[in-house]
Amino acid sequence: MSYKKLSYKKKQPNSNQKNEVIKSSGNSLTQDLKENLERIQETLGNSSDIVVREFYAGKYGQMHIGIVYVDGLIDKNIVQRFILEALMLNLREAELDSTVFLQENELQVLKKAVLPAGEVKEIVDFNELFLHLLSGDTIVIINGVSRGMAIGTKGWTDRGIEEPGSESVVRGPRDGFTETLRTNTALLRRRIRDPNFWIETRRLGRRTKTDVSIAYIKGVASDRVVQEVHRRLDSIDIDAVLESGYIEEFVQDAPYSLFPTIYNTERPDKVVSAILEGRVAILVDGTPFVLLVPVVFIQFFQASEDYYHRFDISTLIRLLRFMCFFLALLVPSFYVAATTFHQEMIPTTLLVSIAAQREGVPFPAAVEALLMEISFEILREAGIRLPRAVGSAISIVGALVLGEAAVRAGIVSPAMVIVVSVTAISNFVSPAFNMAMSIRILRFLFLILASTFGLFGIVLGLIAMVLHLCGLSSFGVPYMSPMAPLIMQDQKDAMVRLPRFGVFKRPNFIRGNDAVRGRNPGNRK
Amino acid sequence: MKKGMALIITLIMLTNFLTGCWSKRELNELAIASAIGIDKSGDGYQVTVEVINPSEISAEKGTGQRSPVVIFSATGKTVFEALRRITLESPRRVYLSHIRVVVLGEELARDGIAKIIDFLSRDSEFRIDFYILAAKNTKAESVLKVLTQLEKIPANKIAQGLEISEKSWSSTHAVKLDELTNDFTSDGKNPVLTGITLSGNADTGMTLENLKSSKLSSIQRIGNLAVFKKDRLVGWLSEEESLGYNYVMGNVKSTITTVECPGGGKLSVEVLRTKSNIKGKIENGKPKAKVELSMEGNIGESECDLDLTKPENIRQIEDALEEVVKEKKKLAIGKAQNLGSDIFGFGETIRRENPKAWKELKEKWNEEFERLSVDVSVDAKIRRTGTITNSPEQTKSKK
Repeated sequence: MSYKKLSYKKKQPNSNQKNEVIKSSGNSLTQDLKENLERIQETLGNSSDIVVREFYAGKYGQMHIGIVYVDGLIDKNIVQRFILEALMLNLREAELDSTVFLQENELQVLKKAVLPAGEVKEIVDFNELFLHLLSGDTIVIINGVSRGMAIGTKGWTDRGIEEPGSESVVRGPRDGFTETLRTNTALLRRRIRDPNFWIETRRLGRRTKTDVSIAYIKGVASDRVVQEVHRRLDSIDIDAVLESGYIEEFVQDAPYSLFPTIYNTERPDKVVSAILEGRVAILVDGTPFVLLVPVVFIQFFQASEDYYHRFDISTLIRLLRFMCFFLALLVPSFYVAATTFHQEMIPTTLLVSIAAQREGVPFPAAVEALLMEISFEILREAGIRLPRAVGSAISIVGALVLGEAAVRAGIVSPAMVIVVSVTAISNFVSPAFNMAMSIRILRFLFLILASTFGLFGIVLGLIAMVLHLCGLSSFGVPYMSPMAPLIMQDQKDAMVRLPRFGVFKRPNFIRGNDAVRGRNPGNRK
Repeated sequence: MKKGMALIITLIMLTNFLTGCWSKRELNELAIASAIGIDKSGDGYQVTVEVINPSEISAEKGTGQRSPVVIFSATGKTVFEALRRITLESPRRVYLSHIRVVVLGEELARDGIAKIIDFLSRDSEFRIDFYILAAKNTKAESVLKVLTQLEKIPANKIAQGLEISEKSWSSTHAVKLDELTNDFTSDGKNPVLTGITLSGNADTGMTLENLKSSKLSSIQRIGNLAVFKKDRLVGWLSEEESLGYNYVMGNVKSTITTVECPGGGKLSVEVLRTKSNIKGKIENGKPKAKVELSMEGNIGESECDLDLTKPENIRQIEDALEEVVKEKKKLAIGKAQNLGSDIFGFGETIRRENPKAWKELKEKWNEEFERLSVDVSVDAKIRRTGTITNSPEQTKSKK
């Protein structure tokens, strides 16, 4: 396993780099090896996973060398073969009185002639040293030289690339991001072999110093958006970034809105296609969830599979998703409004049938709906947290409580069970989990509106919702584009998806300068 | 700013709870009415409401032990008053949006229905898609309380029966509120309503026992048309005349017309399509009307000796058919002229044709109508003879 050096691009001094945790006078390494090693151990509190190895190398053992690494973060194989063997065995046979040796100091000799490792960096002070050490590099220090070397030996136990659990597809690639940033960037690089595909990395979190990468294609992504992403990331000052959600909360446009203004996904193909549309991806080490900005409303209804299936099927399925959005949002409230305020709207036979079911139900329809919706939410939440072993037991109990038993006991009407089930199932059609969450919450608001004002309340709620949606924006892009503002050209891939040979321009509302996706049959005159 | 907005939104949301579910009606607090019957009672009205008993109607819960509908009835000085008085009997508020039929008692109809129309159009709870019928020789209450088979709700039975007979027999005419109101307010047209009679006894018909036999001892029968003059019922058309009326109006969608064959025997034609054109004009200061009807039909049954494979024979049948239909129309027009009520809207046609003359004619239109000369013409076409041409009997005798 070999890792390329991260390329740090510091446009502005990073605020957390100024406040290093280790504060001691004389931050630079000294010439005395013993002193240096002692200081390392002392600072790290003699933690048991720190391995310090001292030995004498060279033909006559004239070089006193110490290496330090964190057990578990390094690949033992690399340390053994390319550092220990090289220094202890190969160095013994090397002709150290060559001209090279005379011109350079020991450290340079090791770096340039002895160590067969790919990733070697010179370090001068302890801050750097600890950063490398704790990231999984191996530190080599020579007695008499006030510098050290960090050799890239990162290698820890990793969850392999698996199919993402939250976003499965019938057709399409089955790989998903992992918790390791480098693996994730590799998944993207493997798909875009374009020199303009840039990955800029920075560290966030005073204590965690988590690697956060920004990936985009220079020219395709709008410079304005890239700058905005940098600006917003710069302003973050927290001690820990454990998941991309930490960052999401800081950089999103409308933190109080129920609607997500940042997209997250576990699927590399989704990220790549977004990057190719001109979006910017934010990858965070330690989580498989990658953030995408800017995001628009309709994006939450577009699944990556839409682009793998035929366009007609995809279009119909997309329309189905929009329908399900409204079903999940409005079915319970519409049912309550119709049965308690607007009975004249229901066809007579249906009304009689509903009325017959409601005979003997003690609660008003609104309370009945709330009761069922809340018990469903409880079941759903319990279902996520349950230990696998008891999962099936709960689902049986849940189905009984929500279905048969509640109806038999006369607490709810069968029609309400259907309403709640339709709502629940429609809710799961949404390809984006965070949009499904907003619908879940809004559903209750609409239920209250419907039970107090009937259809009038629902319509008021819808108007308020649309106004709110139109007022949102994500990294400078209006949330409802390309509907509001209406961009006719981008309708080709919004509510519907036209065949790919008809869509040869990147979405107008996101992209940078490079608009054309290619010359294809539809484009050729 | 944002906090202020959030506060305002929260406050607005909270006001929702203050309304206390304003004008909310839970389904199980409603008595869903399927029909209203209005009869005369002294100076005022007797209003009968047929309320659906949902648990008896539903497929799952129905026990068959109780009546699918409940009849409540009350009297009052006005219809509205009587309706509200029903709450003295009914445990739930009567909900009128889903009524399918309104039945007006004959006595009331003879007295005038204008005041009823006012209530039906004024009350906001009514949807206007119900049918209005006139009870013949009986009270509206009796018609509504007779239980029915196949359709559990009597009102549904009446409404669907009306729709079906209008479509395939055409002696009836399903009248909704808007048509009734239009005809009533027009100077040149008088309304008709389909009549409904009761065969058998209403009191035995209202028991579940009645439903247990295959041949119901009492049943509502949709009958012929009632002729109104302004808002008062003045007479009834016979079945022939009702058919004639619908032929004139072009209401016939499908019906069976039997003709005498030129060579003897009878033959039934299934009428498939009719198109009627009513024209009115002033000629020599006298109003004249013309009714042109074109119709198409198939031979549905034949008992005659004619060779149906020959086109000239078919033409003979067409001629006979034209005569028969013409006769029916003349019958209907004659009856209407006798009753002095222009139910065909000839006056309306003349008004459209010649508004100036109509202004003078308007005042004495009823008398003018009685003497109106109406030119009736029919153009009939036989399209097909069914799956066979000549009847088997005929084929056999030829051999």
